[in-house]
Amino acid sequence: MLDRPGHYDYMPWRRRPKIVWPNGARIAVWLAPNIEHYELNPPPNPRRSPWPRPLPDVAGYSWRDYGNRSGFWRMADTMEKYGVRGSVSLNVAVCDHYPEVIERCCALDWELFSHGTYNTRYFYDMDEEMQRELIRDSRETILRVAGQRLDGWLTPAISNDETTQHVLAEEGILYTLDMTHDDQPTPVNTRAGQLVSIPYSLEVNDVPLFVNRNTPADRYAAICKAQFDQLYEEGAESGTVMCMPLHPYLIGQPHRIAALDAVLAHITSHDKVWLATGRQIAQHYIDYTLAQHRSWIAEGTP
Amino acid sequence: MTLPASYTDYPLRKRAMDHDRYPYRILPRTSPVTWPGGARVALWVAVHAGWFPMDMPTKPFIAPGGMERPYPSYWDFTQRDYGNRIGIYRMMKAMEARGVKGTALLSAALAREYPVLMDDIAAAGWEPACAGLDMGHLHHGGVAEADERAWIDEARSLLHGHFGDTVTGWHSPAHSESARTPDLVAGAGFTWTSGWANDDMPYAFATAAGTLTAMPLSQDLSDQRMLLQQHMATEDFTAAILAAHATLDAEARATGGGRVLTLSVTPWLMGQPHRIRAFGAMLDAILAHGGVWSATGSAIADAWRTQQA
Repeated sequence: MLDRPGHYDYMPWRRRPKIVWPNGARIAVWLAPNIEHYELNPPPNPRRSPWPRPLPDVAGYSWRDYGNRSGFWRMADTMEKYGVRGSVSLNVAVCDHYPEVIERCCALDWELFSHGTYNTRYFYDMDEEMQRELIRDSRETILRVAGQRLDGWLTPAISNDETTQHVLAEEGILYTLDMTHDDQPTPVNTRAGQLVSIPYSLEVNDVPLFVNRNTPADRYAAICKAQFDQLYEEGAESGTVMCMPLHPYLIGQPHRIAALDAVLAHITSHDKVWLATGRQIAQHYIDYTLAQHRSWIAEGTP
Repeated sequence: MTLPASYTDYPLRKRAMDHDRYPYRILPRTSPVTWPGGARVALWVAVHAGWFPMDMPTKPFIAPGGMERPYPSYWDFTQRDYGNRIGIYRMMKAMEARGVKGTALLSAALAREYPVLMDDIAAAGWEPACAGLDMGHLHHGGVAEADERAWIDEARSLLHGHFGDTVTGWHSPAHSESARTPDLVAGAGFTWTSGWANDDMPYAFATAAGTLTAMPLSQDLSDQRMLLQQHMATEDFTAAILAAHATLDAEARATGGGRVLTLSVTPWLMGQPHRIRAFGAMLDAILAHGGVWSATGSAIADAWRTQQA
């Protein structure tokens, strides 16, 4: 067993080589709607049971199914209203089950990246060959339905195994979201290839907040605004990243959608904001700052 | 089957504690102590900087903040490691801006993993204290004495290698100890501890290797308890701190004896962007109240000790 992921180096939050975002923006804000399908009758995994109740877990299944039928459409309209594109954390089987959802994403010019095949197929105990096949399936599916290159990755339920980041790098993935160690992109060390991490979030993620922490919708909005305000301020020193992970079955509920509206109104009322996609953030970082970060690490982060 | 008759024997049922570590003491009848500058409340910011190995044991219990998801939990590991990279720097900045010093309760493994962080803690004027080897080495009744002794020696030597003899405090990770932990800690040269959360003021704690000063560090009023375990809102935690301060300040005014307000805070919780402003605002409110002496754990322990008969 590993005592750490071992994929990144220590980078203290002071005197880092400066990240400069396009047009002098202080902060790159990106929204990551998790568009998922949780199977009614998934196979078992040795390390995690997909559903807490005996199959079929009607309560759990139907809650999430709501996201693709109702929540997604409401969420997409709210994002369109503010001109904010999504970078979809996509269970690629959604392309086969609900092509209308993907058509809407493409019409809005959203990025699609992979969140595995189904959210009920974990990577725990998956050998490298199976991981590789699955990544290739994702790449082919996203290319087929959207004409896009697969650049980003978030393992379903963050169930990555020890080797996953290595396989991602070898398969030419640009950025991973499996680690939440930072508020800026960072280099990722792998046995081959090049991979970077860009910030996802478990702090302003609607699942931990609404499901685990019992957060009321107005408090959710206040937390997201506080997150933005702080990172916007710090971005004057060196560009920061704020990710808002969304789950249509939660944020797209009628009693919560106004909170998303309020947060997007707040963010878009600021001028030094880069409303970006995951791919754009990763590519900009690779083009302009990655080498400087690697040098600074090599020098002992003076 | 029934219980043996000895089950209702109470050999320690008398006017005393059921152990020999300290005598019973009544807070309102404790002889008053004064703080420098006539301050009413000593503000002790105790910052938990932990190293959580991804393969840490889950027995005999999962430490607060321990790996709760299946191995390998990048989720848990990286969220906690965020505190050591970013959160603690945000807290240092917020505290420096207000002239507030902290005590870092350090997993000693951090001296090995992140020496740069140790340098920055020293440069900030914070006190380094030892919070065990790491969060995967909890002290508890099932640990063999030789192991426990070796862990304490290794932890002490890691931190002393970096900070020298400025390391005088010991905090048992997760407030968990074996029956012999205080003896081993005192034997290793530590002079104050904060594992027993049973008082608002320091007190003398007896060990086989001399007397330790037990410092007040609440479990009840801590961000790990309120934000992580109880899922309270940030504002509820900071309001609780301010309510504690109001009570302690009023007691100090009424009795003429100083009190200690301890902030038990954690960088991967309070150092998040969405919480750091509330942390700063809370410090502002405490300081604006007046009569506050911001001090490290060892400074408070020393001031208290010199006033004991």
